[in-house]
Amino acid sequence: MSDETLNLTLRVWRQDNSDSEGEFRDYKLSGVSTHMSFLEMLDVLNEQLIEAGEMPVAFDHDCREGICGMCSLMINGQAHGPDNATTTCQLHMRRFQDGDTIVIEPWRAAAFPVLRDLVVDRSAFDRIIQSGGYVSTNTGNAPDGNAIPIPGKVQEVAMDAAACIGCGACVAACKNASAMLFVSAKVSQLAVLPQGHAERTGRVLNMVAQMDEEGFGHCTNTSECEAACPAEISVSNIARLNREYVRATLVNRD
Amino acid sequence: MDIVYKTLGLPAELLSKVPGIGPIVKACCTSVGQKILMAITGLSLVGFLVVHLGGNFNLFAGEAAFNGYAEKLHSLGPLLAIAETKLFAIFALHLGLALSTRAMSARARKSGYEKTESKQSGFLIPNGGAANMMFITGLILGGYVVLHVLDMKINIWKFDAGESKYALVRMVLRDPLHWGVYLVALIALGIHLSHGISSAFQTLGISHPRWNKILRFLSVALAWLIAGGFMSLLVWAYAFEAR
Ligand code: HEM
Ligand code: FES
Repeated sequence: MSDETLNLTLRVWRQDNSDSEGEFRDYKLSGVSTHMSFLEMLDVLNEQLIEAGEMPVAFDHDCREGICGMCSLMINGQAHGPDNATTTCQLHMRRFQDGDTIVIEPWRAAAFPVLRDLVVDRSAFDRIIQSGGYVSTNTGNAPDGNAIPIPGKVQEVAMDAAACIGCGACVAACKNASAMLFVSAKVSQLAVLPQGHAERTGRVLNMVAQMDEEGFGHCTNTSECEAACPAEISVSNIARLNREYVRATLVNRD
Repeated sequence: MDIVYKTLGLPAELLSKVPGIGPIVKACCTSVGQKILMAITGLSLVGFLVVHLGGNFNLFAGEAAFNGYAEKLHSLGPLLAIAETKLFAIFALHLGLALSTRAMSARARKSGYEKTESKQSGFLIPNGGAANMMFITGLILGGYVVLHVLDMKINIWKFDAGESKYALVRMVLRDPLHWGVYLVALIALGIHLSHGISSAFQTLGISHPRWNKILRFLSVALAWLIAGGFMSLLVWAYAFEAR
């Protein structure tokens, strides 16, 4: 690994608030270390902007280690940038070349309104979870891990679905701004385990209803979401969501 | 535009209030439900195409065989009329759902990106390939079906084929303009189905790591077998003697 530095042009979306129009603005940034993460590079840009008396670019982030799902940037037309299975905070500047222009946009979806610059409001996801992404029994203290025996294969399916960090890259990358991958992961992680099994009928009906209510699009089975997902959630969860939905529609008693 | 959707959605809105079937109608109107209907209607149309193609292969057997087959079909009388009405209804539903889901998604992403790039390595066509051409290929098919009915059922161009359906088909297909339009439509059909059939399985929840690859392969193969089957009739019109 070389200790190169990069001179970059950043084409960044600037928008004062959710009501204002917004526009791209170009910034030159020089001497960017290839060891920096993408977010550190933005920190450097903001230092430069503050010194020049400009408003720094607002962007979301929290853990900076790929687990919270806060960092949400469309980088050169790809959710979380060019790497597979990587969040923006895990992306490094060595992925870019000296002289590059990097286009940085917020997630674009009617259900994710831009709050400021690159920050979008993803509370639509929270409302979908609130509509059914839980188990309503009081579990008390943490039970013994093996109190309910669950076959390893089933556990794997649930754990793979539970890897979803709710970042919204699936919505961002989908040409229909569909939240199907997110919802399917949240439905699946509970539906396949005994604890979540009992409430699976109402859960899937309510979560799909809330998803539509929030104004997400439909699924074209293009699998762009799966490719963009930093947690590598599989579209097989969407097939399970569809199965659950048909079943629930037929057997629902409410 | 919203008023158009509201009006079009009125029948579904009213039906969803009927006790008993109400919840099912409601489910059919959601994003998931609409796609499931789309898959069922699409696969039904595929079923029709397979039967239709099977009938058309009688062309290879000659004038007597084909006209005999056509007569047998028409002797069904009201049964044929019912089947045709059903087919039309399925087609109309499929088209209506295409417009409705498209409208849903257009509303879901009001402003687009400055730049988009795919993380999928596309086969032939990058960025999901056929999946991104469903609407345009579907519209071509819709236009084609109208033309096709005008050609073969109504003989709107007044081809001088007498009573012989065999002669009519041959004349239509030997007309260079028709030949070209039919070829374009059949390519569109192959593309539409090469995503459509495997997508319908996923939409209907038929997915398993053990079977997905083979299912995908068989779906795409069936798509191009159907499209190729019809294309063989285009070859037939020029390369085979009438018999
Ligand atoms: C009026 C003409 C047509 C239009 C406008 C149309 C439009 C569409 C669209 C937009 C989709 C994809 C929906 C999506 O991406 O979510 C689709 C799916 C499909 N279409 Fe068509 N189509 C037409 C005719 C046909 C015909 C003639 C057939 C079969 C012979 C067919 C078979 C299918 C199948 C199997 C699907 C898959 C459903 C799924 O994705 O689950 N379509 N159609
Ligand atoms: S900041 Fe937490 S995942 Fe990127």
